[in-house]
Amino acid sequence: MADKIFAWLDERLGLEGIYGAVLDRKVPKVNWWFTLGSASLFLFVMQGITGIFLTMYYVPDPTKAYDSIEYIMNGLAFGWLIRGVHHWGASLMVLVVFLHMLRTFFFGAYKFPRELTWLTGVLLLLLTLGMGFTGYLLPWNQRAYWATTVGTAIAGSVPFVGDFILKVLRGGPDLSALTLTRFFSAHIWMLPAALAGLIGVHMYLIIRLGISHIPKEDE
Amino acid sequence: MNEKERQKYLQDYKKAKEKGEQFFPDTLFKDAIMALAVFLILVALAYFIGAPLEDRANPADTNYTPRPEWYFLFLFQLLKYFPGKLEFLGVVVLPTIVIVLLLGLPLLDRSPKRHFMNRGWVTGILVVGVIGIVTLSVLSITEAPPPSEVAQGGDQIAALYTQNCASCHGPSIDIPASTNLHEIIAEGKHAGMPAWSADLTTDQIDALAGFILSPGGSKLFTDNCAECHDIEELVATNPIELKTALNRGPDYAAHADLDVPQWSETLTKAEQTALLNFLVAPDGQRLFTVNCTPCHGTSVAFSGERSELETIISQGGLHLSMPAWQESRDPAELDTLAAYVVDPKSTPEGADLFAKYCASCHADRVPAADSIEQAREIITTGGSHETMPIWGDILTDAQLTALVDYTLEAAQGTSLEVGQEYFSNNCAACHGEFGEGGPNPARVDDVIAPISTAEYLKTRDDATLRSIISQGQPNFGMSPFGSAFGGPLDDEKIDAIVAYIRSWEANPPVELPPAVDTSKVSLSGSEIYTNLCAQCHGLDGRGQVGPSLRDPKFRSENTPETIFDIINQGHATTAMIGWGEILTSQQIQDLVNYILEFEVDSPNATGQPTPTPGPVSFAKDVLPILKAKCNACHGSMGGWDGSTYQSVINSGQSGPAVIPGDLLKSLLAQKIQGTQQIGKMMPPSGMGSLTPTEIQKILDWIAASALDN
Repeated sequence: MADKIFAWLDERLGLEGIYGAVLDRKVPKVNWWFTLGSASLFLFVMQGITGIFLTMYYVPDPTKAYDSIEYIMNGLAFGWLIRGVHHWGASLMVLVVFLHMLRTFFFGAYKFPRELTWLTGVLLLLLTLGMGFTGYLLPWNQRAYWATTVGTAIAGSVPFVGDFILKVLRGGPDLSALTLTRFFSAHIWMLPAALAGLIGVHMYLIIRLGISHIPKEDE
Repeated sequence: MNEKERQKYLQDYKKAKEKGEQFFPDTLFKDAIMALAVFLILVALAYFIGAPLEDRANPADTNYTPRPEWYFLFLFQLLKYFPGKLEFLGVVVLPTIVIVLLLGLPLLDRSPKRHFMNRGWVTGILVVGVIGIVTLSVLSITEAPPPSEVAQGGDQIAALYTQNCASCHGPSIDIPASTNLHEIIAEGKHAGMPAWSADLTTDQIDALAGFILSPGGSKLFTDNCAECHDIEELVATNPIELKTALNRGPDYAAHADLDVPQWSETLTKAEQTALLNFLVAPDGQRLFTVNCTPCHGTSVAFSGERSELETIISQGGLHLSMPAWQESRDPAELDTLAAYVVDPKSTPEGADLFAKYCASCHADRVPAADSIEQAREIITTGGSHETMPIWGDILTDAQLTALVDYTLEAAQGTSLEVGQEYFSNNCAACHGEFGEGGPNPARVDDVIAPISTAEYLKTRDDATLRSIISQGQPNFGMSPFGSAFGGPLDDEKIDAIVAYIRSWEANPPVELPPAVDTSKVSLSGSEIYTNLCAQCHGLDGRGQVGPSLRDPKFRSENTPETIFDIINQGHATTAMIGWGEILTSQQIQDLVNYILEFEVDSPNATGQPTPTPGPVSFAKDVLPILKAKCNACHGSMGGWDGSTYQSVINSGQSGPAVIPGDLLKSLLAQKIQGTQQIGKMMPPSGMGSLTPTEIQKILDWIAASALDN
């Protein structure tokens, strides 16, 4: 029976083909450092899941943001866990993505034929930092408010276009409700969409080219 | 990497794959274990540490120390090494270079070598980069000690520093010479630095500036002075006193009965300097205010070389003449004084004489003389001796440099702070502190448009602004402010205001006209009086720039109808503009009624300056004005002397100052009106200026033959 169902599905989805291309393939023998990439992906998924849960209660409005977080932390069953995991997941993701980059560098994995994998990886690192920066403001607490004030002001010190950048980031000359909705939108739509797309490309390249092997001393 | 090398790599890789493992399940199993570990770590962190919530954001609280998330700390720390204009190097240039290098790495490193040992350069650069990032992050965490650590020593200013500055600037700040630190602290200079003027007092800011420039001085202060003195009390003190107190120790008058050590022996020269730098921070503007403003006003006209100014300040100038004392004192007294000057200890009785005749100019400072003969010569003949203190002996090098810098800068034009002050006093009532405008106090449903928008400023040149301020805009209810048109401001002040207004152009504080609730503008007689008339006539109607409305003469000469006409049409010869186009007749009538309600002063009213009926008396009217407004600098210092009838008429280097009955030729009359051919208008701007009533009294007295009555 199970075989029949599988055959029915396989005929329509091409499961055998996917299995052959993605799972049933040989890869060079590598060490534990090579798990950092998949750990980054896992963290991204975790952030996505916990983040989606958080948006069910979070309100991106200066008068309500703090209260909504307070409710998530104190009033909601396991709210503290969801936010705790999201909070620490952010830090851990930056760390893991960075280590993943160092691993790629030290094993020379950015070289032929994986140049594009590296390029998308660097973009993913930058997007991850962008997620950290935009997410920092959302609780609308002192730390968030002032760090973002300073952070956006720093962006405003760019010669010639600084003022423009500052206004784009803040949605005006000052930090306001517009800044919050802007950061919220970037944090839950724009950046995650870009991240997901790039992760897709990144993984396609990895599956197509295979993970690099550990170079020997004469290589 | 050429074709051959590529093929070789692909072959090597193929071999490595053949020797390798199955992606599923072997590799995925490892990934799953890793994912599980990550998940457990996350849950543990969430459970044991949790996500902090902190306090709600409070945009008004500039005391909060912003800290970015830990992975941005290295950038934050990096910023500290690129102060001021270099900031964009650290913020933009450096990160952009790093990102471009990272993105372009596969293109830059195209050698076929893969093992990191075979890519020495590239590996080296990355290792240095990573070590840099880690070091910067660690520094950023360790450099900001928690407030309690430093504040324990009882050093208040160090605590102030720790609370407010240390979190961004670390334990100390390197300041380039002649930085106006006070201004930077007060206004917040670079991106992310808040303006502290709202949270700290001026004296606190000065103390903080002193601490930053001379941290050692702060400790010396705590050890030596803090037991009796509050720091904020000392930073505002005259540096001459500070230096004297430091030099004399127990001999300093105020320390007489106290157990005070001889600091000139217990502290090294360097320590004394550090202490003075701390107490009077090398902040040119502040030094100028404390040291120079009492005689020079807000700025000094100086167009010479920097070195020349340095010499004048450090050696004291030949400014005013010391009187030739032989004309007024007997030889015995002169001998005593001369001996006292050369060696104060040998002739204690000289101290009284010195206090009596010399101290008003020389203060506590005994001028140096090599021998008794020399001292006697100087004292007896008087003449051009320095009356400006020898600041070189009093100020530290750092302070002197700061003072010279500021003086030169201020001589280029009055500083913006001064213009801001004038603006705030004269214009802000209607135009707002930042030129943002507001409801028109004269007209219902009308707003005064902002004058600080880029649009406004770009379409008016300086000459236009100057004429608007000086002539007013009678059609819109703005009275003339220029002294030439009867207003309170002379040209120098107007220029300062124009410069201040112009300074908005770079960064307009206002973008759009404010939304004003005009319905709140009440236009009863009393409101109109308070908003419009009081600017010149005073809230109580006793007159300021304009004449007193309580003056019996004014009231007896003017019927309600004539008062109505004056308000309606203005006064051709004074600053009084015609309000007929702005106010309705009913409003003017209300005003007249309001004015008539003022109680008329009795002819002998005391307290307020009302023109004295009858001839002006020198002793009763003129001399008190001179004593209050002129003698701070003139007095017995030589030059013109305003202390007695004879000296008022005759003293001074340019012949008689007063020619009885001749207002045009009398130098005194010219100088107080600003029509002089010689020298500057008096009193210099920034000093307590003469009120119109006072000027009028002096003029009346001269016109009435300048009697000694």
